[in-house]
Order: sequence, then structure tokens, then C-alpha cells
Amino acid sequence: MVTLVAKSLFETKDLHTPLHPETIRDLQVGDRVEISGTIYCGRDAVLPKIVSMAKAGDLAKAGLHLEGSVIFHSAVSPAGVGPTSSNKLEIEGCIVPLSRIAGVKLHLGKGSLNEGTVRSLKEHESVYAIIPPVSALLRSKTVKSECVAFQELGMEAFYRLEVHGYPAIIAAAHGESIYS
Amino acid sequence: MEYRQIRKRVAEALVRASSTFRPDQIEAWEEAISSEVNPHAAWVMKLIVENSQVAAVNSTPLCDDTGIPHLLLELGPQHAITSELLSAVEEGIAQGLRLLPGRPMAICGEDVDRLDQSGGLDVDPSAVLSAPLLVKRVKEDVLRLHVLLEGGGPAIRGRCYRIFHQHKWEVLRGQIVEWGIEAVSLIGCSPCTLAIGIGRSHYEAAALMVEAQVFGSYYKQSSLEDEITQMVNQAGIGALGLGGEMSVLATYMKVGPQRASGVRIVCLRPCCCVEPRVASIELADT
Repeated sequence: MVTLVAKSLFETKDLHTPLHPETIRDLQVGDRVEISGTIYCGRDAVLPKIVSMAKAGDLAKAGLHLEGSVIFHSAVSPAGVGPTSSNKLEIEGCIVPLSRIAGVKLHLGKGSLNEGTVRSLKEHESVYAIIPPVSALLRSKTVKSECVAFQELGMEAFYRLEVHGYPAIIAAAHGESIYS
Repeated sequence: MEYRQIRKRVAEALVRASSTFRPDQIEAWEEAISSEVNPHAAWVMKLIVENSQVAAVNSTPLCDDTGIPHLLLELGPQHAITSELLSAVEEGIAQGLRLLPGRPMAICGEDVDRLDQSGGLDVDPSAVLSAPLLVKRVKEDVLRLHVLLEGGGPAIRGRCYRIFHQHKWEVLRGQIVEWGIEAVSLIGCSPCTLAIGIGRSHYEAAALMVEAQVFGSYYKQSSLEDEITQMVNQAGIGALGLGGEMSVLATYMKVGPQRASGVRIVCLRPCCCVEPRVASIELADT
């Protein structure tokens, strides 16, 4: 009986992009998820530029449709992908604007976010998940990768990936944080 | 050993360091998983071990931050360092970075361009140059190279600073533990292995910290290392900061010569969950 309860507590939820508001409403802090579909990657250097584009209404012109999307805080290089700290000033500062203006639904990275960010994510029906630093495993789950903006930034440019089953755990949802 | 053979061995060592957990490392992880009571932390740790298995099979990087190569050369009495040897090692590192492939993260340009990153990135992974070579004279008749890959996260959270020891180990230990807890809780890629060098200058302490990573073993922990590990683990940071028993797997500490003074210089690096990434090779014919 105990085993059954434990198993159901930690059942993995499959998430397929684009993510709909009802999917986000169903996610709770501590849920283990596997993410499949199209996701975007960017970190310190490029995310503020993407926010500027969103504020100027230029995302669609550049072919970037982030409604319901996942943004993974990672560089992309021939060495693979892996999470960088989401609480770096430039990255955390972009999380809320990207949800509010561009409709990003899931931010994927590592480390705790401040309380204000967690509260704002709730307002915009978005969540934050952490992904273990398992680059070799993620490589085996990455189907395709292409640079879609700011190519001059090299590995720090904005990338679109097709992925299958990226493992993560929901770390902030509905105003709650796994770290609090 | 011939130039070409040295180059090849060094390249292979770099790939091995980046893609393989050593036997003692695997055992430490398995033991840590069995001791972990937080199910989320245990889940993360199992994924880290699975990641190491995939990396080893495919010879691909454990982490996309493939790190900065650091080299330590053990020099026995019957061997010499020549310019040719150093060239072969340098070429081997470059070849290894292309083969892996390493992350192309070298910044181009003059001082200010490299500092503010305005010089752009070099697309060639082999443009990432090694840190200065560390040479250690040993009695054993060897010419042995250790290739170590140092990622950026631990460099952000590590520190090299003085501690007024008040002639008590407990004072030093208390400060080290405080630094360790702060570093591990911020790094986001725990459980860590703490690498510590204690010397008379910042240079010496940093060199000892590198040496600690090369010669440290999860199989053999000194009582001082054990004390630090246990005290940091009491903080309950756990894997990825999710809470749990295992914040650090072990501590590798190297104590060098000390000066008559009230100060010890301590260099602490919270090696992340894929570190220490180290591989060792013999460069002399046997």
C-alpha cells in the first residue's frame, strides 16, 4: 500500500509544447515532468535582447512565436546543453517579462528564484522547473537544434530545439517554491 | 615516447576526463544514493549516474561546460621536461578539445575585448587554452600527466582568502565549513566534492587545491576531510539544493608547508556533481 502511494506521488507527467493554461494549472511544486516538443534556449547574453524584441513587438517579425513555450536557460554548443543558474541577474530579470509579454509558460534552469519572481509567475500562469545537469543524457534526447536569433553570440545565441523527454521537476508554481 | 604518440594519449585523456566517472567516483555516488532520504534528491542523483553511463558509452561530455584544461605533470628523477614534450602536450589538448568536442568558449581580442566579452567567441573548441602547467617532482620513476577540466560554476562559488587560525584547527575548520555551505547552497549542481588547498600564498593554496583534486580519492578520506564533509552535510542542502543528506560526497584537502604566522591562506573549490574531471596518463616508455 505504501509503495503504491509513493509511486503515485512521484509519477512523471508528460508535457508537450506548446503548453496550455490548463496544463500549467495542473502542475504542482515537486511534480516530476518530461518535456517534449519545441523548446527555446538562451541565457544571460541573449535573453535581455529577446525581452527587448518582445517589448517592441518584433518577435513575430523574426519568426519567434513564444506563446505556450518553454525557455531553457542554457548555452547551445557542440558540447551539448545544460542548465545555467536561473538566478543570475540578467536571466531572472527576463523571466517575468517573457511570461507577461511573450506568453512563455515554463522557464527551465537551475537554482532558486526570489519570492517576487515566484509570485509574478503565478500572476502570469507560468511555472519554473529545474533540470539536472545531465548533458550527455540530454544530448540523447535532443532531436534537432537550430540558431534562430542573434547568431553572432555563438553558443550564447537564441536557439530552438526539438526534444524528447527532458526530465525536470517543478520548482515554482502557483506562488509556491520547492526551496521555501 | 614519440611526439605523435604523446599527442594522441593526451587527446584521449582529455576526452576520458570529460566523459567518464572513475571507479571510486561511481562507488561514492552509489553509496550516496543509498543514503539519501529525500526522494527528489535521490531522483536527481540517479539521473546524474545515468548521465555518466551515457557519457561513458558515447564518449560525450558529462557536462556542456567542458571546462578549462588544467595540467599537472609528475616528474620522476630519470625524466626531463623538454620544449618538444610541452608542444606535444599542448597539441594533444587542442586535439582532445576538437575530438570531444569541447565548448567553443574562448573570447577573442585584446585585454579589454576579452574582459567585457566584446571580442566575440572563437568557434574553434581548441582555442580554449590550458591554465599554466603545474609540475611536481616525485621520487617514483614516472613522467605522468594529469588532465583536469575545471568548469565555470565552481569557479564562481569558490574562493581563495586568508583565515586567522588562532592556533586552532577548529577555527580553520569552522570557516572552511561556513564557506563550503555557502558555496554548495549557491552552486545549483550539488552534491559537490570540496577541493581545498591550504598554503602560504594565494598561488600556493590554489596549486594545492588543484593537487587535491588530482590525488584525492573517495576511497580514502582523512579524519580532517571527514569532519568537513560531515559538517557541511549537516546543512541539509542536498542535490540541486532540494534538501537531503548528501550535499557533498567527500572533501579533498591538501595541506602544504605553512609559515610562522597567525594566517593561513585557504583556497576552496566546490567541485560540481560531474567533477573532479580528471584522467591520468604515462608519457614515458615503460
